[in-house]
Amino acid sequence: MGLAGLLVKNKVFNRISLFSSSALYIIIASARWFHLELPWLPDWLSVFFQFDDIGLYFFTIMAMVFGGVYVYSLFYFKESGLPAVREASYVLKMLFFLASMTGVILATHLAMLWVFVEATTLTSALLIYFEKRKSALEATWKYVYICSIGIALAFVGIILLSIGSKNINSLFFADLYNRASEINPLWLKLSFAFIFVGLGTKIGIAPIHAWLPDAHSEAPSPVSALLSGALLNMAFLGLIRVQGILVLAHLESFSNFLFMISGFLSLIVSSVFILHIKNYKRMLAYSSIENMGILFIGMSLGSLGMYAAMIHTFAHSLSKTSLFLTSGKILDIYKSKKIDDVSGLLKRDPLTGWLWIISMLSIIGMPPFPVFLSKFLIVKAFWVNGNSWLIIPFFLFMLIVAFGMGKAVFKMSFGDDAAGKSGKINRSFYAYAPQVVLIVILLIIGINFPPQMIDILNRIAELFH
Amino acid sequence: MDEILMILIGTTMLYVFAVSRIEAYVKTLALQGFILFLLIIIDIKEINWLNIVFLSIETLGIKTIVIPYFLLTIIRKNEIRREVEPFISQFYSLLIAVIIFIFGFIAAYWAAKTNVEIKPLYFGISIVLIISSLFLIISRKKIITHILCYMMLENGIFLLSLSVANEIPMLVNIGVLLDLFVGIYLFAIFFNKITEEYDDSHIDVLTELKD
Repeated sequence: MGLAGLLVKNKVFNRISLFSSSALYIIIASARWFHLELPWLPDWLSVFFQFDDIGLYFFTIMAMVFGGVYVYSLFYFKESGLPAVREASYVLKMLFFLASMTGVILATHLAMLWVFVEATTLTSALLIYFEKRKSALEATWKYVYICSIGIALAFVGIILLSIGSKNINSLFFADLYNRASEINPLWLKLSFAFIFVGLGTKIGIAPIHAWLPDAHSEAPSPVSALLSGALLNMAFLGLIRVQGILVLAHLESFSNFLFMISGFLSLIVSSVFILHIKNYKRMLAYSSIENMGILFIGMSLGSLGMYAAMIHTFAHSLSKTSLFLTSGKILDIYKSKKIDDVSGLLKRDPLTGWLWIISMLSIIGMPPFPVFLSKFLIVKAFWVNGNSWLIIPFFLFMLIVAFGMGKAVFKMSFGDDAAGKSGKINRSFYAYAPQVVLIVILLIIGINFPPQMIDILNRIAELFH
Repeated sequence: MDEILMILIGTTMLYVFAVSRIEAYVKTLALQGFILFLLIIIDIKEINWLNIVFLSIETLGIKTIVIPYFLLTIIRKNEIRREVEPFISQFYSLLIAVIIFIFGFIAAYWAAKTNVEIKPLYFGISIVLIISSLFLIISRKKIITHILCYMMLENGIFLLSLSVANEIPMLVNIGVLLDLFVGIYLFAIFFNKITEEYDDSHIDVLTELKD
């Protein structure tokens, strides 16, 4: 499906192909929401690729993020003055990346999911190194090597699972779910530990997060947005699917423990680093680590937590995309990634400044935005599960991160314009439109939660009762 | 017969711990690929022909010939000969290797006692391969060694999948192989870039990005 767009790589067709594929994704997502059946894949492929509720949910998020990134890319092309060949290679890599992410979402077979998660690593590595700087090379190497090792360990986990599920003799999720109780519990736990570490590396969860700030800060901004807003979700989706097996085998206490510990570790790490951060793109990367930690904590709290985590995934992806795209604009104005070099953003370019502030408010969870709702539900889930004392550290870390981000963002936005740096600002429509649209979507969802979304969230959460 | 081969593959790992010439690593890698091929040939009972052909291409073609040859050309082109002084000296690494082997055999013994159908020796040796290549990645500094050890890790995982009789669908197998191949290819590209950009190619030069 996404592969269709790959055939086009002619210079003139760049924009058209990027546009058509992003439009295609959004159309498919919206059609699925209204239960329209589209012409589907051939039979032998549709065994391996299917839409389900969770898949649709993540697919929608990805389509939105990619739509925003597409519009912003037009600005990026213009601003960086790329020759047509480089532009074509950017589009080609991006479509490959997108196709592999689609593969992860639609995969119905555990090992197939693995294949596509590894493929996302390989395709996105090329995008991170797109600007060919020395520091980008270092970041890419760390990213591709650490993630490959991690994903290799996840494959060990998959093999261990297939040892433990000898009598099932199939790694299709449907079979594993239906006969979860027949899997040898010891081997299931063992395999979960490996898969957890493997996919956790890809998510950038605390002890194994080292590559994340580097890669996210060195990639071109539209790519960072895609990495943070869509790619992290893919590995998370993999973990949700595996967690489903454990829940059905009644071993969720084991996995919940792992999720809880690593979730809190991520909160600690991100709140420690975010306080004295010097680079605003790295700040956003640490915020991603924090939010992944929140997702993990949500996962560990049963179905209500799952419900909250799902809302949080959505809200985080959209706000983080908006933040990264805006950061690209700031980088373009000030030509520096250091927080100290940026001040008076509101005077310099008011719209960027306001987008920067509002997106930040969205990600730290100010009331009209859905992040507030998800965090509130997680607190409630803590209460329901009888771990109410954990609410205190949860709030504390939340507060530290909010303080750290707020300090940096306000410092950058207010104050006097940094002297001697007055250049012409490109007020291109493409540089603002995606963020505005994403924020409006977030606001609408935060104020008036659509019933279809509640339906689908309920169905997802029911799997983790 | 396959026991002998398993012991041989374990010994290659010990050899890797002891040597410091990079070319020796590559040759060991090729040897491991070839042993894996022999193991598959011995193992043939009634698996279908398509599978056998595919597995032979994977082990004999890709793991024994293509990837080692590819890595060897890179090494010769960049004139890398020896591993620099590792973090942990040769003697202590060997000692640690022995501990890893003991752990592997304990794991095999334990796996045989849980009531699942696996081949204990395969399981144990593959655990040894996986853990020791992870250890080598941590303890060695050259980036090319890291790539080689990643391949050994993959060999270990392949061996682990041999210890299970469960069949994984063909399409998935092809996907796994493709990923591996593209992965190594990319590693090589970035490795070449790193040697161009930096004077030296060990991980100590990659410390620019930090907080």
